[in-house]
Amino acid sequence: MDKAIIVDRLVKNFEVNQKEPGLTGAVKSLFSPKKKTVRALRGISFTIQPGELVGFIGPNGAGKTTTLKTLSGLLYPTSGFVEVLEHDPWQRSPEYLKQIALVMGQKNQLWWDLPAIETFELNRAIYEIPTKNYQENLKELVDLLELGKLINTPVRKLSLGQRMRMELTAALLHKPKVLFLDEPTIGLDLVAQQKMRDFIYNYNIKYGATIILTSHNMDDLTDLARRVIVVDSGQLLFDGALEELVGRFAKEKIIKATLGSEDNIGGLNKIGKVKKLSFPEVTIAVPREATAIAASELLQNFSIEDLTIEEVPIEDIIRKVFRGELKK
Amino acid sequence: MIKGFSLRVSKAWRSAAKYLQIFKINFQEEFAYKFNFIMWRVRNVFQILLTFFLWDTIFDNPTKVIFGYDRSKILTYVFGIIIVRALVMSARAADIASDIAQGDLSNYLLKPVTYFRYWFTRDVSSKAINLIFAAIEFTLLFIILKPPFYFQSNPLTLIFFLIGLVLAIFIYFFILILVSSLTFWAPELSWGGHFLITVVLIEALSGSLFPINILPTSLQSVIMATPFPYLIYFPVQIYLGNITGQALVGGLMLAAAWCGILWFAMNFFWQKGLKVYEATGR
Repeated sequence: MDKAIIVDRLVKNFEVNQKEPGLTGAVKSLFSPKKKTVRALRGISFTIQPGELVGFIGPNGAGKTTTLKTLSGLLYPTSGFVEVLEHDPWQRSPEYLKQIALVMGQKNQLWWDLPAIETFELNRAIYEIPTKNYQENLKELVDLLELGKLINTPVRKLSLGQRMRMELTAALLHKPKVLFLDEPTIGLDLVAQQKMRDFIYNYNIKYGATIILTSHNMDDLTDLARRVIVVDSGQLLFDGALEELVGRFAKEKIIKATLGSEDNIGGLNKIGKVKKLSFPEVTIAVPREATAIAASELLQNFSIEDLTIEEVPIEDIIRKVFRGELKK
Repeated sequence: MIKGFSLRVSKAWRSAAKYLQIFKINFQEEFAYKFNFIMWRVRNVFQILLTFFLWDTIFDNPTKVIFGYDRSKILTYVFGIIIVRALVMSARAADIASDIAQGDLSNYLLKPVTYFRYWFTRDVSSKAINLIFAAIEFTLLFIILKPPFYFQSNPLTLIFFLIGLVLAIFIYFFILILVSSLTFWAPELSWGGHFLITVVLIEALSGSLFPINILPTSLQSVIMATPFPYLIYFPVQIYLGNITGQALVGGLMLAAAWCGILWFAMNFFWQKGLKVYEATGR
């Protein structure tokens, strides 16, 4: 098996009932429902190698979660081809389901009124995990995620952070080879976020698991994802190394200079966009293709003691991705 | 060959262990809120007491006969309804509609477990609890009230009664899932559909409000062609010994036929529904 995941020209449409506001709207939609087709995915293609950890990013409603749900067999593709671990996810064969897990930050599988250990026991039976492996996996997860005696506390009495770690434990007891993580750090405090990230990083390395991760958390992406796939409005905008994202989408470069004197300081505006000026330091954003000209103009017309040319910070680009400001 | 056999046995055992675990966790869940549980049982006892005193007053004269029912038979019919209802209609599977609407169905679809078997196991677990407690309460009340109860002593009739009961449990389960499947297409209608089918149709046509045979004969035969009277009325009548011979065998065959039809329809609509399932909730 050379590819863990193959997605080819995947399309998913949803039929959505349109409803006008209020009670009259509700009655109207009952008798003459207005359907609208939402094109969630408009032909997405990519492949992922075994053991890769890929960040899946885009603004809200871009189609990230829809893709994960299709890959885990929850959604029936409108058209296109999907294969994960040489299985058609939609068939949901037990052999396939035993090798994957989908963890959604805001969906829970834990039994609310019972201690988490009961859900774990249920999953042991459902996934047919041999008792010895189960004990080992559980101990390892409980240690790594620092859950300790909490597994005997009714779930409804746990904090969100504790519950999320329990959810992760429940989802990983069967040691899935492919892991779909949808916003795994949402709603967690900074310490808990870091714990979660460390765990995901180690799980990927230790078991060679293939992981797709969606997140709106900058640190999740910069810490974990070596490769990113950017989607917007159901289309793929970029697929490559995180660093390449900058070269591909940053239309500007950053010139940082140390000035020798304040002479002619107002003229800096003609070179490019002055981002920051606190004498003697100045930061100017200039169009990518005009970087060399801008630098030489600076050196000719101003008294410059030091000058560096830098890429736009990756965070700025990712922020643009979240806002849906990147275009093909 | 021996290896193949033992492999099959261990596979079957693991599958059984799976559903045994579901049975156990449902059992625990039922007891999670102890006060709630006690109140539920108290309500049951009151329901039995009220029903008893109502019919006991109407049939104050032991020789009085209404619609062919005397005091002993009407009391047995009414208590029969309570027991059969508790067994047939205490079904957790009513939660399936909200599972679909709120997207919790996803949790099960992601796991190597058969969703219908999962719910049926939970149902059986709930029914077991209900049966155990109902039996205790009934015995106590029986000792206190000493009602003129009709005990069926014919073992063959009791076997037919059990068959009728099992068929009723399946018919109800299939109807519940079928109605819940509506939620795939109309999430906002799920409760309405549930109300129409379970409350209006089942209450009226299953014989839990009144015995079907007090209705005009033509209407009776129409109702008896639907699956609903086989939920309550039919099993209770078997127990009372009011349905025998050809009518009994014919009725059981019709109930079995409905079982088959509903099973087929349930699977058909469920598979169609899964294709439009949107896994919402996030």
